[in-house]
Amino acid sequence: MTPDAMSLALFVPLFGAIAAFVLPRAASVIGLVAVLATCSAVAWLAREVMAEGSMTVALGGWAPPLGIALRADGLSVAMLAMTGAVGLLVSLGALDALRDARQRQYFWPLWLLLLTGMNGVYLSTDIFNLYVMIEVIALAAVGLTVLSGTRAAVQAGLEYMYASILGALLFLLGVGFVYLEAGRLDFAGLIAAEPSAGLSAALALMVVGLLLKTALFPLHFWLPAAHANATAPASALLSGLVVKAALYIFLRLTTYMPLPDEIVITLIGALGAGAVLWGGVQALRAERLKMLVAWSTVVQIGLIFIAFARAGQVGLSESWKAAALLILAHGVAKAGMFLAAGRIRTEVGHDIIADLDRSAIRPTLAQFTFALAAISLIGLPPSLGFIGKWSLMEGAMAAGYWHWVVVTMIGTLMSVAYFSRVFAGFLRFDRMKGELAEHKGWAIADVAPLTLAFAAITLGLMAAPILSFIELGYPFGAVP
Amino acid sequence: MSDPLAIFDLLLAVAIVALALATLSVRDLFAAIVLFVVFGLLSALAWVRLSAPDVALAEAAIGTGVTGALLLKTLHHLRHVTGTPERAAMRGMTPGAPVPMPVIWANAAFCGLIALGLAVAFLGAPAAGPGFDALVAEAMPRSGVEHPVTAVLLNFRAYDTLMEVVVLLAAVIAVWQIERGLSEAPAPVLGEVFEGFARLTLPAIVVLGTYLLWKGAEAPGGAFQGGAVLAAVGLLLLLARLYVPQPSHRPLARWAFVLGTGAFAAVALLVTGGGRVAFEYPAEHAKTLILLIEGVVTISIAVTLAALFHGREPVAMAPGEAPAASRSGEARDAG
Repeated sequence: MTPDAMSLALFVPLFGAIAAFVLPRAASVIGLVAVLATCSAVAWLAREVMAEGSMTVALGGWAPPLGIALRADGLSVAMLAMTGAVGLLVSLGALDALRDARQRQYFWPLWLLLLTGMNGVYLSTDIFNLYVMIEVIALAAVGLTVLSGTRAAVQAGLEYMYASILGALLFLLGVGFVYLEAGRLDFAGLIAAEPSAGLSAALALMVVGLLLKTALFPLHFWLPAAHANATAPASALLSGLVVKAALYIFLRLTTYMPLPDEIVITLIGALGAGAVLWGGVQALRAERLKMLVAWSTVVQIGLIFIAFARAGQVGLSESWKAAALLILAHGVAKAGMFLAAGRIRTEVGHDIIADLDRSAIRPTLAQFTFALAAISLIGLPPSLGFIGKWSLMEGAMAAGYWHWVVVTMIGTLMSVAYFSRVFAGFLRFDRMKGELAEHKGWAIADVAPLTLAFAAITLGLMAAPILSFIELGYPFGAVP
Repeated sequence: MSDPLAIFDLLLAVAIVALALATLSVRDLFAAIVLFVVFGLLSALAWVRLSAPDVALAEAAIGTGVTGALLLKTLHHLRHVTGTPERAAMRGMTPGAPVPMPVIWANAAFCGLIALGLAVAFLGAPAAGPGFDALVAEAMPRSGVEHPVTAVLLNFRAYDTLMEVVVLLAAVIAVWQIERGLSEAPAPVLGEVFEGFARLTLPAIVVLGTYLLWKGAEAPGGAFQGGAVLAAVGLLLLLARLYVPQPSHRPLARWAFVLGTGAFAAVALLVTGGGRVAFEYPAEHAKTLILLIEGVVTISIAVTLAALFHGREPVAMAPGEAPAASRSGEARDAG
């Protein structure tokens, strides 16, 4: 038995999920070991990709289009690494955050199946395989959404499942028509296919399905309730990682389909602008901390689509890098922020923003973590979020598309405004009742979110190596 | 219109569309489910006419049989929970607020766009695409099995099939996880006819399911179809209360759920080495390995589908935890 690194990145979490499910009492230990082992497999794969540029394995020895090949290049390994690293830290956070035995028992198999599905997406080169993978992700993610067991969570989970299944079905319908048109399902077949109205319509169906799954305005309706009502580790995984899978597929598909024309790209950017403005307004109005954080995810998804559209069709071969940077930045920062919000809620006892300053309990470290993550999400230097936003605006300015710069600036100002509501709750002491218990709530559980938030800031200093890494193997425009 | 089969096809197509419309428009949920089951059976017939017997079997067994049973069970449960307005009020449930008109119009516009996309894709698609036929025919001798569909599912694209089994595993884990000591609707009283029916049909179903699985290597059939037919055994046992899930059965059930995924993945991984990658079965053992995988996957699919029908993890319930309204059902559960 000598499997390759890519197969291991899929099979290790899968076997971990199986073991954690049949041995519920040891689920936490098995889960942590499996996530660690998955990270090692990804690290091994990253080394190979750095040496070779890109890697391909035809599973079963059957070359595409008959069989399915796994392919790793800079972009996919960057996504795998982000998923693994964020997942490991969230797993550590989950050790403390999940107090209920039943939650602990079910969190690990569901999360490891989710990890299997996401790794599968980042390594896939086949559109039907991508459909199966997003189904794995969808069911595991719905399971995690309802893990908290509250009525609101179950209701939000049901809505999430409807949206998710509808998105997957649209994607599948598109896949069916692409197969009819092109006779193949692999990415190389998409490039070779004759452009036609039918093929464009089929690809459009797939893209609409993906937009529903990644919650781009106005298809975001399911996201805030689902992400805000889950338990903190589940929220961190759902917001930081899960929505990125559909985004990644979208980014990949635009490489392989006949290039969308200017109108479509502008439309996608306009939807992104709608997300930034509408999500910003809703975040300003949110009453609960976790709801505010969830709406900020809607904003950030919109921003990523603006980055994609920033320089129109001509600039697409560069714009994907700005989008990829924002995807990585949001994944790290948002996971840290949701874990911190969960810590604040646990310590203070509620997460009503207007009452945060009445509380005598101030979990200082969690609040500090929240602020650090906010710095990256607002886009202040030197965070990774800043680099992403900067390259978005730089590209837009170079192409003369000032409207995207204006929208991004408005979105940034709004994010300062809604995060300031939270900071005011942290820093005002005049409405407080009773003795201040400032240091209460420093706990080992703060380590995971703090590391994530800190990474979101410091990764900005490593932007140049990250940029050159995601270009390995020419992810954009390369024939697999 | 001289060809009798053409007339049959035309009638079938009209009937399927009419049944779909009727299913969507009928107000009574029970009637909608019955119409849906008939719709599924006719769709299975349509698949036969389209020369896709594998899809027809899957549609009949899973899309119609198991799904119909699941829908009826859910309806029974819903009527138990929200049956009367008083009971709904007791449980603190409020009737859903009416959907605002702008939302309805926005949804209609979205659906219209999707329908437009579908229409363009459908009209633009060639009548017979190139497809994999030639590639599959060429690779068949090295696949280890004689039936092309089985070769695609268990060899050429085995990775997809493994992940589909994983989807089923994720579904049953999610369903077990949602269970929060909710009460089950009391089981309906079953007449003598049912028991006689169960006694007569159970052995026949077991034989049929195993046959479907075995034939899968050279003819239409296979793990998913065989598993769904065998799941019917579980459904009948559960309905007849010949088998009542107990908390102590959970470890065994967990192993049964993961058996298919685990064995499939283990085989895929263990064959690597000596220049072979994952899922690359050695040619001389291909048939044995494929039959082994299909066998264990069938067991897992059957148990998982039956567990999904049962719909909950069998947990021990503390006395007084179950709402009084359904205590009788719980008592029967425990007995």
